[in-house]
Amino acid sequence: MMKTGEVGIKTTTLEKALEWGRSNSLWPLTMGLACCAIEMMAMQASDVDISRFGSEIFRNSPRQSDLMIVAGTTNKRMAPRIKRIYEEMPYPKYVIAMGVCVIQGGPYVDGYSVVMGVDKVIPVDVYVPGCPPTPQALTYGIITLQKKIRNETDR
Amino acid sequence: MYKIISDDKDKGGMRMITLDKTDLIEAMTDFKNKGYYLTCLNGVDMKDHLDVIYFIHNFDTNDYISVKVSTNDEHMPSLTKLFRVADWDEREQYDLMGIVFDGHDDLRRLFLPDEWVGHPLRKDYDLKKVQYVNMDSEGNEHVSFDEKEGS
Ligand code: SF4
Repeated sequence: MMKTGEVGIKTTTLEKALEWGRSNSLWPLTMGLACCAIEMMAMQASDVDISRFGSEIFRNSPRQSDLMIVAGTTNKRMAPRIKRIYEEMPYPKYVIAMGVCVIQGGPYVDGYSVVMGVDKVIPVDVYVPGCPPTPQALTYGIITLQKKIRNETDR
Repeated sequence: MYKIISDDKDKGGMRMITLDKTDLIEAMTDFKNKGYYLTCLNGVDMKDHLDVIYFIHNFDTNDYISVKVSTNDEHMPSLTKLFRVADWDEREQYDLMGIVFDGHDDLRRLFLPDEWVGHPLRKDYDLKKVQYVNMDSEGNEHVSFDEKEGS
């Protein structure tokens, strides 16, 4: 609405409006499993602050969140639990795999207790490599996910 | 009276003593009466035998001693009757190194699921035989060698 009193009209489709809304209110679930979780916490603190990009606050309940940032070594006992928490999240839901541990095992690639990639258990939308990835890299991962939700990603 | 096999100091000045397995309980009772407490215990796989190293600390004199005991048959006397803190430490050593502590009344695995085969920190543990864990809806864990049965 302009200040002159004229009415500005923007047309869009319902899908576009939904995508826009979803991509700008991603509520991440705290899924910090190891050292990467520290960087995940730094991402939502005032220094980097993902709220500027419309990713809002961390939720502790899977029922209130739509983005799971798996941050940290996924070991074999944790993997079935991650899957169960993922199933408890309402649709639409997205997953970011943060750190090389979560992507393919990382430093523990020959370990007896580590799952070689969380994508063996749940579907992953965006991979953020690094050991650990910086908060800025994770922010970029979230922006990439937002673009993906809005079908804007250039792949 | 127990016999101290060797008694010397490491680079940091900590006293290191070696004991025979049969003397362990008696020696630890003596140290406990002198004011020492168990702070931590480690297991070491020396290929032909296993070592257990107990770290005991005296809070009054701030004195640390490491007590090394060897075993050839994977059995050790449990210290849980003397120090309750040994409970989970011994369960951890049983879980990862396969050292059986005789006299421990609840010797279950601490970290790995109960069905896990082998003790992964042993030198002869085969990392090629990957084990997979899954969980049913009640929270019971099952271990299998088949990749389709878990993650
Ligand atoms: S990727 Fe590196 S920083 Fe992240 S959980 Fe694994 S070891 Fe820790």
